[in-house]
Amino acid sequence: MIGHIVKREFFDHLNSLRFALTALILAALMITNAVVHLQSHPDKVRRYSEKVTADQDKLQSRTELYQMLKKGPGRLYKHPSALTFIADGGDAFLPGSGTTSWGSWSRTAGFSGQVKSIWSLDYSTANPNARDLRPKSTKIDWVFIITYLLSFIPLLFTFDALSGERESGTLRLCLANSISRPALLVGKFLGTLIAILTPFYFAVLLNLAIISTDSWTQLGAADWGRLGMIILIATGYASIFIAVGLMVSAGTRDSRVSLVTLLIIWVALVVFMPSTLGTLATKWMSPVQTAHQRDMARRSALEQINADFDKRIMDKQAKQSEGLQLLNQLMELSKTSPKEAEALAKAREEELRLAIAKSESQEADPEELRIKAEFVNKDAEIREGLNREHLRAQLAQVQRARSITRFSPAAIVQYALESMAGTGLNRHLQFLEGVHHHIGQFRNFIVETDHADTESLHIIGVPEGMSEKPVSPRALPSFEDKITFSDTFNAAIVDMLLLALLLCMFICGAFLVFLRSEV
Amino acid sequence: MLHTLIRQELLTHLMSARFLAAVVITLLLVVANTIVLIDDHENRVANYSQQEKVHREKAVAAETYSRLELFVERPPNPLSLFSAGLDKRLGTTVGIYHGDVPMISSVSARNLENPYLNLFSYIDLVFIFQVVLSLLALLFAYDAIAGDWESGTLRLVISHPIRRGSILFAKYIAAMICLLLPVLMSLLMVLILCSLASSIQLSTADLLRIGGIIWTTIVYLSLFYLIGLLISTTTRRTATSLMFCMFLWVALVLVYPNWSRVAINPVGDMRAEQQSANQQIEQIWEEADREEQRFLANSPLEGDPPRFNIGYSGSSSRSGRRYGFNMTKVDADSEPFVSHFQNYQAFIGATHIRLAEKAALIREQVLARTDIRQATWDKRLMRFSPASLYTFATSAWAGTDLKGMLDFSRATQGYRQMLIDYLDDKDAFASRQWFASDQGTVDWWDLPRFRFERADVWENTQRAAADMSLLFLMNLILFIVTFLIFVKVEV
Repeated sequence: MIGHIVKREFFDHLNSLRFALTALILAALMITNAVVHLQSHPDKVRRYSEKVTADQDKLQSRTELYQMLKKGPGRLYKHPSALTFIADGGDAFLPGSGTTSWGSWSRTAGFSGQVKSIWSLDYSTANPNARDLRPKSTKIDWVFIITYLLSFIPLLFTFDALSGERESGTLRLCLANSISRPALLVGKFLGTLIAILTPFYFAVLLNLAIISTDSWTQLGAADWGRLGMIILIATGYASIFIAVGLMVSAGTRDSRVSLVTLLIIWVALVVFMPSTLGTLATKWMSPVQTAHQRDMARRSALEQINADFDKRIMDKQAKQSEGLQLLNQLMELSKTSPKEAEALAKAREEELRLAIAKSESQEADPEELRIKAEFVNKDAEIREGLNREHLRAQLAQVQRARSITRFSPAAIVQYALESMAGTGLNRHLQFLEGVHHHIGQFRNFIVETDHADTESLHIIGVPEGMSEKPVSPRALPSFEDKITFSDTFNAAIVDMLLLALLLCMFICGAFLVFLRSEV
Repeated sequence: MLHTLIRQELLTHLMSARFLAAVVITLLLVVANTIVLIDDHENRVANYSQQEKVHREKAVAAETYSRLELFVERPPNPLSLFSAGLDKRLGTTVGIYHGDVPMISSVSARNLENPYLNLFSYIDLVFIFQVVLSLLALLFAYDAIAGDWESGTLRLVISHPIRRGSILFAKYIAAMICLLLPVLMSLLMVLILCSLASSIQLSTADLLRIGGIIWTTIVYLSLFYLIGLLISTTTRRTATSLMFCMFLWVALVLVYPNWSRVAINPVGDMRAEQQSANQQIEQIWEEADREEQRFLANSPLEGDPPRFNIGYSGSSSRSGRRYGFNMTKVDADSEPFVSHFQNYQAFIGATHIRLAEKAALIREQVLARTDIRQATWDKRLMRFSPASLYTFATSAWAGTDLKGMLDFSRATQGYRQMLIDYLDDKDAFASRQWFASDQGTVDWWDLPRFRFERADVWENTQRAAADMSLLFLMNLILFIVTFLIFVKVEV
């Protein structure tokens, strides 16, 4: 019996004007999306590989271990996802390169030469908005098509599904037969779902057919798996709105009232909530330091270690020069009264030994090098720590705002699709994690290479203290940014569960309302 | 008779569920968003005044003329509440320097606290009217004629001695009054909330601009009502009329404005253009280097620029071609060269001013041919959608459109000229204080301050005029077409 109702509903829709208009608008948008992707994607991939090779060349030219430490692992770039046509994910605002500049400085330390800064991790930020004079607009990607149209169209298909039949009296007729109410509802639900998915899948196929002609977008098995998940998410999202439509339609007697109610729900949930809640969330967010405040914090932290360093190096050098003076004094004294000299030497044995050691060796004093290295490392650590802290605060704000916007199913779907497509914030976080991992490896590599050299003093941070043997740049750990299926799936799973919950909730709601309603 | 018709239509609308629902949702959205937007504006104002203070302190702290680092800040526009336009989006800080002409492309958003928040789109009050009320206008219109048709009341009404035009007119007037009500109620709410906030002071001119925005809103809503009316007269069934209205709405408001920008790009790749301009500008600066060489050939200064053989203690800084010196003590044996160094600095200053202006001409041209041309094309294409026309007209009223931003960059250029005049007045380029503070630091008490006045209301009106008249014209055409069809149609 259900099969019969589904069939009837489906054919009803198939002949309607809304079906034709839906097919038209979906196909037009999907084709636009594919064509635009074909035009812009090759450029993106080409620029990425150009940047990566240019940077690799620069890295390959360094063979000295200290230079590697000083200049760092170069810029690390985010690999553009093959599925950017599905979700743009605000990629322009999530900069592709993770680690960049080193705030380099050099300073004189007392009277024993210079210390130079070493590389520390910095995050590039992008704000293409600041110079964009074009009128505001949204990219036409799958996210746009799905969030707006696959919510609007189900409402147009279902607003009169029950209220219209009630008005015309066919609902009574239907229920007079031996059909249970749930069966009728399920039949209507499935019939409408199939009627909406048919033009959608058709448009998706058109889109993929065009995109697969492109040699720059090679979709592997994992990509097809992700695509399957994405289509599943879209199907779930459309079902939610069909359930909402049936629920409201079952509860109202006048299909015009049903339509108005649904449109208002739609406007609130899909159009306004994602942006209004995003802005609203900023009101209760813990503030991020301004550029000025950050400068001040950095300066005060660095000033402290600077002062400490100056004091230690001065003390050290003063002690040395004191020792030298003592030595001279002893020499003079031994000429006149050797006994006194011996007594003095015994009393200040320690200092004397240091001074002798110093005067004997022409090389740099390891202890002084250690002080310098400690300072240089601490400086890098402080700068990196502040950067990391700042980034953490910024991202915490974004996460907060995102979790608040999740009240809207449109936002949930957007985040799920972004994660599945390998774009957007979750992808950016994974990229940053990869960067941090790579940085750790890079630093380990330097320490280990230095350890392997027996001639080295093993003082990391100053050129004199480190291995001077040439290092093959090929041995450096290489950074590879990859998008794996499990990563994207893990990032999307929460949003997908939320969607499933919403779907269950609305289907139950529709059942309850329909069961309780009078015919 | 017309009077009765209008009254009857008005009462039906006012008592309908759609009207109530639309008013409630509009007011809710407007109030919620206004509170958020006012809060946001307060933050921006606080940030602006703090930045201005920091800039001023930094400028006054310079010991020598060459060390002057002057920045100006764009004040936030209170009308961005209504139409955000480019006001919130573009950077706000501009560096002012005699050797560089500030352009709209040289603003920076360095002071933005969290650029990642750009991931969320922001909305303004105009957007609420644009989406919600246009939908309501179509909901009023879709069954205006087709509904009467189906129920048979149209025949009944026409059997009375009334002209068909009057029927149409009565429906139009009644619907417009109903649409006007939520607009005016939300305006009232916004004005009350604004008057409670201390940071927003609306001048008379601002109120006039808001009047312009409301006027545009009415014209826009009327256009959507007429679109619905036309569809309603041409179709005989409300269901068909409704579907056409809804899909047309999606196409005009949601899809087309976004679609036109990505699908049609007549400007193409602008990188080649930019590169050639960069080359030309490089040539200009090479010319500067040559002139400098020539000058130095006839000068008794020895050694390499910019230090030459002047021994001093103090510091120097460099960014690009810009040097800042602060010689706190000049060695005695360098003293004879100082006057030559002064001449050299005066020469460099004059050359840089002249060539910066020459380079600015090229930059201006290339900007007009790339970024601005692109923005203009986008606008032209988007004009096919009434929703975009409405956005453009309202941002022109609010002064947050591209022209308003160009006003600001022109003001910064004027300020640069003021700075140059000020430095010339003091003969600063040829003075010892340009680079040395050993005979006292510079006193900046009379350094001109930057002030930016938005364009006056008349200017705003002119800027909005083109889009407004297009909206009017569309209204007129639609009304005439609807009228003709309705008169000729069989009942």
